[in-house]
Amino acid sequence: MIRKFVSAVAAALGVLAGLWLMIAPFALGTQPEDADWTNTTLSEFFTGLGVTVVALVGVIAFVLAIRDDLVERGLVVPKPRQTEPEPEPVPAAPQASSAELASLLAPLVEALREDLTSRSRPGGEHRQNGMASLVGVEENR
Amino acid sequence: MKAKVGVSALVLLFLGGLWLVAAPFAVGYQPRGAAYVDATINDLWLGGTIAALSFVSLVVYAADALRELAQRGKHADA
Repeated sequence: MIRKFVSAVAAALGVLAGLWLMIAPFALGTQPEDADWTNTTLSEFFTGLGVTVVALVGVIAFVLAIRDDLVERGLVVPKPRQTEPEPEPVPAAPQASSAELASLLAPLVEALREDLTSRSRPGGEHRQNGMASLVGVEENR
Repeated sequence: MKAKVGVSALVLLFLGGLWLVAAPFAVGYQPRGAAYVDATINDLWLGGTIAALSFVSLVVYAADALRELAQRGKHADA
């Protein structure tokens, strides 16, 4: 971890050096005012820009690496990201068992049976095919 | 991975420092045989400093990594 810290400090100094390079032509007076940039200015400015960007990337990378080390050693606890709470799953409606279904349908079956029985009685409405109703056949068994 | 990016940045900084040292003569704003102009002096000092700083950092990084490897080897032997 020491090596990462030393490297991060060196990269931070590199950032400062790059910034100085960018302003040096104007600070030292080598760039005439109200004139196009000379080769000296162009070279120093863009070199300084590159040095600054590269050094900044280095600083960020080393700082993140140090943070990872600290997290790995348990010295830093990363903040848990706040995520939206997931909606609680709605409990599925209890499915009726076959016994409950049979008890629910029992009155309907009984009503149908009575209806069919009354139709098959003599004097009632005759079936067109002349056969006894199925319910009656079942009852006679 | 992040440390590798940082080491790569240090290597690039070292190369940038070398470029700064060579820039006055490569670009041509330092006349040959004449006394160093202000821009040349600035570039030489800054380039030398950046190159030296990044080089020392790379050496420290490599030395510490080697020390860690040696310690792991000792633990493995024990």
